[in-house]
Amino acid sequence: MFPRVSAILPLRPLSRFLLCSGGSEAPAAAIVLLGAPHGTVRYRIWALLALTKNNAQRYFGTNNVIYSKKDEQSAPTPEISKETESQESVKENTKKDLLGIIKSMKIELSTVNVQTTRPSSRRQLKSVEATIGRLQKAPEGVPKKRTKSLNPELVAAASAVADFLPFDKQTTKSELLRQLQQHEEVSKAQKDGERAKISVSTIISDMKVAKSATSRVSTRPVHQIQFDEGTDNYMGQKTDDLKKRKNMLKGKRLNIFDLKAVTEEAPETETAPSLWEVEFAKQLAAVNEQPLQNGFAEMIQWTKDGKLWEFPINNEAGFDDDGSEFHEHVFLDKHLKDFPKQGPIRHFMELVTCGLSKNPYLSVKQKIEHIEWFRNYFNEKQDILKESGIQFN
Amino acid sequence: MAAIATRRWLRFRCKLCLTLAGQRAGPCGQTPSCRFYSGSATVPKVEGANITGIEEVAIPKKKTWDKVAVLQALASTVNRDITAAPYAFQDDPYLIPTSSVESRSFLLAKKSGENAAKFIINSHPKYFQKDIAEPHIPCLMPEYFEPQIEDISEAALRERIKLKKVKASVDMFDQLLQAGTTVSLETSNSLLDLLCYYGDKEPSSDYHFQKSEKSEELEEAAEENDEKSKKADHQFGVTWRAKNNAERIFALMPEKNSHSYCTMIRGMVKHRAPVQALNLYTELLNNRLRADVYTFNALIEATALSVNENMEDKWNNILELLKQMAAQKVKPNLQTFNTILKCLRRFHAFGRLPALQTFREMKAIGIEPSLATYHYIIQLFYHHENPSKGSSLIIYDIMNELTGQKFSPKDPDDDMFFQSAMRACSFLRDLELAYQVHGLLNTGDNWKFIGPDHRRNFYYSRFFSLLCLMEQIDVTLKWYKDLIPSVFFPHSQTLIDLLQALDVANRLEMIPQIWKDSKEYGHISRNDLKEEVLMLMARDQHPPELQVAFADCAADIKSTYESQDARQIAPEWPANCLNYIAVLFLRAGRTQEAWKMLGLFKKHNKIPGNELLNEFMDSAKASSSPAQAIEIVKLASAFSLPVCEGLTQRVMADFAISQEQKEALGNLTSLTSDSDSDSDSNEGK
Repeated sequence: MFPRVSAILPLRPLSRFLLCSGGSEAPAAAIVLLGAPHGTVRYRIWALLALTKNNAQRYFGTNNVIYSKKDEQSAPTPEISKETESQESVKENTKKDLLGIIKSMKIELSTVNVQTTRPSSRRQLKSVEATIGRLQKAPEGVPKKRTKSLNPELVAAASAVADFLPFDKQTTKSELLRQLQQHEEVSKAQKDGERAKISVSTIISDMKVAKSATSRVSTRPVHQIQFDEGTDNYMGQKTDDLKKRKNMLKGKRLNIFDLKAVTEEAPETETAPSLWEVEFAKQLAAVNEQPLQNGFAEMIQWTKDGKLWEFPINNEAGFDDDGSEFHEHVFLDKHLKDFPKQGPIRHFMELVTCGLSKNPYLSVKQKIEHIEWFRNYFNEKQDILKESGIQFN
Repeated sequence: MAAIATRRWLRFRCKLCLTLAGQRAGPCGQTPSCRFYSGSATVPKVEGANITGIEEVAIPKKKTWDKVAVLQALASTVNRDITAAPYAFQDDPYLIPTSSVESRSFLLAKKSGENAAKFIINSHPKYFQKDIAEPHIPCLMPEYFEPQIEDISEAALRERIKLKKVKASVDMFDQLLQAGTTVSLETSNSLLDLLCYYGDKEPSSDYHFQKSEKSEELEEAAEENDEKSKKADHQFGVTWRAKNNAERIFALMPEKNSHSYCTMIRGMVKHRAPVQALNLYTELLNNRLRADVYTFNALIEATALSVNENMEDKWNNILELLKQMAAQKVKPNLQTFNTILKCLRRFHAFGRLPALQTFREMKAIGIEPSLATYHYIIQLFYHHENPSKGSSLIIYDIMNELTGQKFSPKDPDDDMFFQSAMRACSFLRDLELAYQVHGLLNTGDNWKFIGPDHRRNFYYSRFFSLLCLMEQIDVTLKWYKDLIPSVFFPHSQTLIDLLQALDVANRLEMIPQIWKDSKEYGHISRNDLKEEVLMLMARDQHPPELQVAFADCAADIKSTYESQDARQIAPEWPANCLNYIAVLFLRAGRTQEAWKMLGLFKKHNKIPGNELLNEFMDSAKASSSPAQAIEIVKLASAFSLPVCEGLTQRVMADFAISQEQKEALGNLTSLTSDSDSDSDSNEGK
């Protein structure tokens, strides 16, 4: 299943420095190893693998919290701890079997959640970090010498740490010292304003922080699966294609219909919708039918069904008056045209319209009918009116 | 619509209040030169209002509100509660579903209750005459499905057609004909509509839910296999029989217009008689009539359905039809192009270029594609795809085109889009694209297009699996909290994906929690899930607190196997699970229970693993109990395990054992070798 595994195994010591080197090959190899002994193929690994291959920063983007949280000065710290830790794990594992190796890799890789499978190592890691933290403060207090050699106090402290740790003292000590030396060089270089000389690891840690946010946008992990089948070139091609290729939704068309003919308005003959249309409309309505999301949505549904009294949205709630406007209710004078311009009848009718305009219970139609009734009444009583000397019409 | 309008109105109100307040507070000279009026009521800007001090009053146009505007505004303030089941499931706490199976039966039960009530009311309307509601609520009253007009007349026929009584209408038509009355063209046409739409069969009663379920099954079948779907259609749907009532009445009609022909053609295509439909189209042309756009759509489908032609001929026939449309000045609509694309799906790879050309054509003549259009294209390009070959990238174009759009239903297949888009994302393993699709789903009211329950589940399972695969674990867990259970109930495979993501990210301490959840979502009897949980817990050593939590979880899983006995399901104890549980008990220091597990091995006739026996030996050594150690050796020898030898030696070396025990050990070892030879000889025979 993993033809590459055996080939990469001898390279293992190299992978200890993989975070420092930032090479894209090494993490990929480590991840392959990670998956192998458990027997189960984790797709996540394929994904990571492809990502790493694709863009080294992408990998750092996924596990980056440590780096983004610490400042530049202390950036090398996790590297030390990781190195010592991986070493420790190798030491501890007397079995020396594949699983052990893999576990050590696993610790290196999951930089953030170093929830390792061995609790003891984690505690030690913390203590190491604490010690180094103390140590790192030391050089700042000490006046820097312009020689390459480190402050003897530092050397003593480093060897103390190495003693404290339960594994290979010489290696630990030398590694600590090397790290400190590097540290000093860096600070010196920065002091001189020679930013170019900053060590590779610092640069890389910079890159991690800067890139993490944008890395996802820049690359599309399209064909991770194919990648493992040995079609490395294919992958590169595809990503290029993605950027360069033209929009497939644009190009040659059938050229059957003419835009003008189609958009031109044809006289629509109004016919009653046939069964086909009614049923199609029903189908369409069912397309975006979804279960109700909340109680209000349910009340809307009930209102539409007619089961619920309509929620009032204005003063005319529940008052159906064929859509007549308020002015038709209030200004009724225009219906008095047929009445005399003055006199008692006029006076009476004005009082009637005034009363009607204040009546909220009658519809416009009923009000007009009411006025109509009076006109008929006065028409019928023409003779009496004439006798009384009152002019109508 | 109205809800948006309302929100805008509210905002307007707020601004108005603010301005007014400002006016009051500020010095008099600072009258705002612009006041906020609603909607499109354009207000002429009053220039120099400050100088004259007189503001021209523009009366805003009257706003008309939907009758549910207030409710819509209120509804828009309610967000999804991520800790609860969806609103549709909220009921008596005992009834709230916790798994996808339960949720389905919950909905079915609810709907079937409604349908039963409706059925009773409609079949016995005389018992439901009392109108209690004031004002009257029409939808709660029985509907009358029985024809009221008794005599034989065209009005009676029209009533029967309206009530969709197929058989009664046909009878009435025949009686009218026998009586010598001629039926008007319009009525005969609507009778033909009825007959053609329902394929001369009585329409199934309008129990919508069941009907849609059936059609969904059809669609699924169609997706799986075109061949199968044809059979399924024949099973479920009605097929067009030659000389049925529609054809008979059509032949009897003294005059026919284009509508008569068109509805016949559409009916034939709908009920899978493409050859007859194409023949009738020729007849229509011979009679110098014109088909409408719906008929052309049906004809396109008929062309694709016809059997004895290869893809190229079919495509040319479709093109021919389109040219005829153009020549007859029939305007194509969205359905025309959707039908073409739907048919091109059957052509697989051959259909791709024509499909793209068709799509461009519809864009060029200004017909806005619907979601279904894109669904067909995605299916054409991704459905039959072999992942080892290069796959098309068209979905990126589609998503670029669609992002930010809001949709309204235009095609019955519009609700398939999100499912197929997410399928393509998961096929391409592109999380970024999946986020894009999900973003589109959450634009406006687009979420309504996710389709029925099973399609929603499919969409979200694919989406979540992709998250497990590609996303950082913290983000994945956030999605887990957000989506489950308020949006969907996870499938057991989804949970396994999550467990594997936890494993990759080294967050095994979450496992007991995940197991608790999966128990809730009804995956108690999923062996693969249980085995995955146990395997991940038992694989490595962990800190003591975690081991205790794991052991609790293991005890819980163990109890699921035991409680199954009561339900009389064959208790199948996989050997792996026994191993894992025993190891977990041992590591948490629950030695007694671990020893009980060893007993289970015997009972279910499973073989304990070597590592397990070694761990037992370690624990025996830790408690310095030679009796236990010998017990282990006994067990190993009982199963005639090869590891027995090594264990014996360990006991001899590590424990202070008495002479008796030594002898017993010696017997055991010899027994083992004996039984080995026995079994060998048995096999030999």
